[in-house]
Amino acid sequence: MADNNGGPWGGGGSGGNKGNNNGNGGNDRKPDGPQIPEIDELMRRGQEQLRVLMGGKGGGGGGASGDGGGAGIPRSTFLFAGLAAVVMWLFSSFYTVKPEEQSVELFLGEFSQIGTNGLNFAPWPLVTYEKFNVTTNRSESLGLNDSRESGLGLMLTTDENIVDIDFQVVWNIKNAADFLFSLKEPEASVRAISEAAMREVIAQSELAPILNRDRAAIEANVRQLIQITLDERKTGISVIRVNFNKVDPPSRQVIVTAADGAQKRVSVIDAFRDVQAAEQERDQRERQADAYANQRLAEARGAAAQIVEAAEGYRATVVNAALGEASRFTAVLKEYQVAPEVTRRRLYIETLEKVLGNVDKIIMDNGEGGQGVVPYLPLNELRKTPQGGSN
Amino acid sequence: MSMRSRIAVIIAVLITVVGMMSLFIVDEREKVLVLRFGQIKQVKTDPGLGFKFPWLDQVVRFDDRILSLETPVIEVTPADDRRLEVDAFVMYRIADIVQFRQALGAGGEREASIQLNDILDGQIRAVLGADGVTSNAILSPERSRLMKSIREAAQVRAKDLGLDVVDVRLRQTNLPEQNFDATLQRMIAEREREATDERARGREAAQRVTAVADRTHEETLSAAKRDALIIEGEADAQRTRILAESFGADPEFFDFYRSLAAYEASIKAENSTLVIPPDHEFLTYLQSAAPRVAN
Repeated sequence: MADNNGGPWGGGGSGGNKGNNNGNGGNDRKPDGPQIPEIDELMRRGQEQLRVLMGGKGGGGGGASGDGGGAGIPRSTFLFAGLAAVVMWLFSSFYTVKPEEQSVELFLGEFSQIGTNGLNFAPWPLVTYEKFNVTTNRSESLGLNDSRESGLGLMLTTDENIVDIDFQVVWNIKNAADFLFSLKEPEASVRAISEAAMREVIAQSELAPILNRDRAAIEANVRQLIQITLDERKTGISVIRVNFNKVDPPSRQVIVTAADGAQKRVSVIDAFRDVQAAEQERDQRERQADAYANQRLAEARGAAAQIVEAAEGYRATVVNAALGEASRFTAVLKEYQVAPEVTRRRLYIETLEKVLGNVDKIIMDNGEGGQGVVPYLPLNELRKTPQGGSN
Repeated sequence: MSMRSRIAVIIAVLITVVGMMSLFIVDEREKVLVLRFGQIKQVKTDPGLGFKFPWLDQVVRFDDRILSLETPVIEVTPADDRRLEVDAFVMYRIADIVQFRQALGAGGEREASIQLNDILDGQIRAVLGADGVTSNAILSPERSRLMKSIREAAQVRAKDLGLDVVDVRLRQTNLPEQNFDATLQRMIAEREREATDERARGREAAQRVTAVADRTHEETLSAAKRDALIIEGEADAQRTRILAESFGADPEFFDFYRSLAAYEASIKAENSTLVIPPDHEFLTYLQSAAPRVAN
């Protein structure tokens, strides 16, 4: 079919080499013999219809048709080509917009309207269109490279400390027309604006709050700042959120001279970790001291209780003994008063009996010479000898 | 097909071709200059359809969107002589395409970005190096004011190029290599100070708690001992009172009775040997049966 088309078109251009044309046609028929008659038939029919349509001109054509039936073939081909062109045109002029998309239509280059979801008609070449995915979130990651050379990630704070920040900006298109017309390089611009905004916010914050509690506030500030910048330029971009991936002190090592003159390689993040370790150590020491204190105090309380209770025990012993002794004396005295003389003698004799009964004794005359003898008595030996003997 | 119709077709085609060649579309994103032999014939800044002479006229298109430029890192010296490495992100658009074309010729955007870069280089240095602008100011809310004045200064000069500087944002404001290391060292030293302080405070607190515990220990024990002595004293006093009350009923008999008890308790076989004269009262009846009580 393509060959046939090419033939007639060429023929039309060169103006009347119909014999040649037919010859070509004849050549073509040989390989696909069975199909060609049908195609010829179709073409002839198309030619007839064309003649009818053309009316008077058809008559003129009729005169010319004496030159050969082949002249009809280009005309029907015209029709097909026209139909194909119309189909192609329709095909390129209708387009669909998916629910997540928006399209921007330009009438002769001028913005005409935003295409709605579903089937849209943009008659080419008067109307052109561009489609964007507007609901899908796009994200830009910044500062993922902690290298000095790129400068990415490392930012200076207002107290002249350095912090290593990686973050992500998530954005989508809120207005497709603005998006299309405002920025030449939207992604690069979003990246650059985001980085500038982050650096601006960081440059106005101190290090400690950045590392600890202010992250959410900074994220919100940066998001707002990016959004304001983008909105000032009507970029049609909406920043959904800003996420910190990493907010750390820099991990680059530098040589540090300690107080004792020793040099070592340390990074700031190590130093921060050491602070945390020190905090833990402090806590540990305090707890250990508390444990010691608890132990000492408990010991003291126990010992004190023991001492006091022992004293109370002594009190009980002494008082009870005294009460007993007093009671005994009172009882004996009562009976003594009934018969004092006899009782006195009895007590005396009984006691001496007990005392002298158990004791070594020497009954010795203490008469006239007694005074002189007593000092020479070997009292110790007298007492010990019987014991030694019994042993 | 007759000659006439063929000629008609050819003429129609020619008209179409010439018509197409004399029309041009200006996109919403563009501005257009129509040049004839290098001379500006038309300036078309609104989108839509435009007309020109075919072959003679040349359509030159310029981007009407916001263009961006990232300046290379330069070192500036603020008033306090601390150097900072700075780069900027610039958003600009081609405002006046006639002036743009005249100033930059056929170089277009590439040439524009080179020249704009030079302008910004100078203006950033001028603004950040001006009197009274310290590095602290750059690292403070002052920053946005400084960015604005860089933009304004650059704006004035870029106007000659037909450019409109929409926005200038400082990106990096970092310390140069040697200061960078010094800053890291200072940060480390600060952390070390903090860590040392923490550890020292930990030891201090531990010592304090231990000392208090030891002191309380001693206090508790001594108080207990004191209480014990008081209790024992009270006990002794009570004993004395009880015995005195009881014995006081007959002191003479107490003397006798208690003495006997004392003899019994103190004179023991193990430690005593008694030398008794035969005329001792206890032994009276060893010598004679005569009564002694009678008198």
